[in-house]
Amino acid sequence: MRWSMEVLRVCVACLLLCVSAISAFSQSLDSDFTFTLPAGRKECFFQTMKKDASLEIEYQVLDGASLDVDFYLQSPSGHVIATDYRKSDGVHAVETEEGDYMFCFDNTFSAVSEKVIFFELILDNMGDGEESEDWKAYVQGADLLDMKLEDIMDTINRVKSRLGKSLQIQALLRAFEARDRNLQESNYERVNLWSCTNLVVMVIVSGVQVYLLRSLFDDKRKTCT
Amino acid sequence: YGLMLLFAWLSPSQALYFHIGETEKKCFIEEIPDETMVIGTYKTQLWDKQTGSFLPSTPGLGMHVEIKDPDAKVIILSRQYGSDGRFTFTSHTPGEHQICLHSNSTKMALFAGGKLRVHLDIQVGEHTNNYPEIAAKDKLTELQLRVRQLLDQVEQIQKEQNYQRYREERFRMTSESTNQRVLWWSIAQTFILIITGIWQMRHLKSFFEAKKLV
Repeated sequence: MRWSMEVLRVCVACLLLCVSAISAFSQSLDSDFTFTLPAGRKECFFQTMKKDASLEIEYQVLDGASLDVDFYLQSPSGHVIATDYRKSDGVHAVETEEGDYMFCFDNTFSAVSEKVIFFELILDNMGDGEESEDWKAYVQGADLLDMKLEDIMDTINRVKSRLGKSLQIQALLRAFEARDRNLQESNYERVNLWSCTNLVVMVIVSGVQVYLLRSLFDDKRKTCT
Repeated sequence: YGLMLLFAWLSPSQALYFHIGETEKKCFIEEIPDETMVIGTYKTQLWDKQTGSFLPSTPGLGMHVEIKDPDAKVIILSRQYGSDGRFTFTSHTPGEHQICLHSNSTKMALFAGGKLRVHLDIQVGEHTNNYPEIAAKDKLTELQLRVRQLLDQVEQIQKEQNYQRYREERFRMTSESTNQRVLWWSIAQTFILIITGIWQMRHLKSFFEAKKLV
């Protein structure tokens, strides 16, 4: 009897899981991507938004020559909301209307250097978030002391959102560090290259100088006699 | 549970999307600590000239997914998936992993409109955990489940911090090495300059003396 109750519970859980999984391909509320933008190219990304949600986009150029890129954000109606010219990093937040927002990173001003760009999208008030966090259907057993439990739940929720924020900040710090590291590594290579070049040039120049002076005097000798 | 995965990509998605050309390859970099799971999901749509919109999905049009590891570009995964797909991998070394997508279409006709719309979502670390599944497997109450989630989040933060410490150490080593090299090269350059100057003068002096000019 107890065993069949367990089986029934597992089956119900499975079914509810299936039902919820139908809407499973929706993006989590925060996501970040790092990609390489080749020289002279423009890359655009789109994000579907609901009405009265908020979209925050934060980007940084991690690697590539002058560490800057052009950026613009366009609303579904085609109106350009924000533009940045040759900035190294930027942040833009908008209250959204219904539709697809487009944002583009433009590296057309650079003919030779490719850029590595990190961007982070923070979505809020999308409406789906609350539903996917409702686990009451999947849990088993009950917690005792319902009254005080509400307070505990509230605290846990607050802790969860703060931890989420910590993760976001970590992602940002990681981007800063990656940029500094790439800068230093390219410095290192630059120092090596130019020092060797300097050495070689100096030795050649001194040899050439000596040879030229000698040849100067040889000619004079010939004309004098 | 396999059935759940099947239902996972039936509905229109709200993920970030971008357009990809036929032979174009789009790559994303994920910098992750070791032993971290990454799950990527994508959905493709093809531009249909007749209806003037993007069709939900096109059978036979697959995406080729290639995942490379931080050192020496060892390929972890190099597989073809269908028009809607999901790929998973777990990192064994910390570092920058590269996820590349390109379409496997060879028929120009399919790409007559020129663009394929790809919806992409990449989940890293504790975001990959399926909590309803964990609740069912370990028979947890809601409170236990929420605490488990907090524990996973904190573990992820701790892993990232360890990785950050390792990266900062590498950064510091490179900086110190650069500093040292600048110093040694400058000293060596000055030394060589002086030696060359002295050699030049002595050689020229002996040359002029030999030619009876001085």
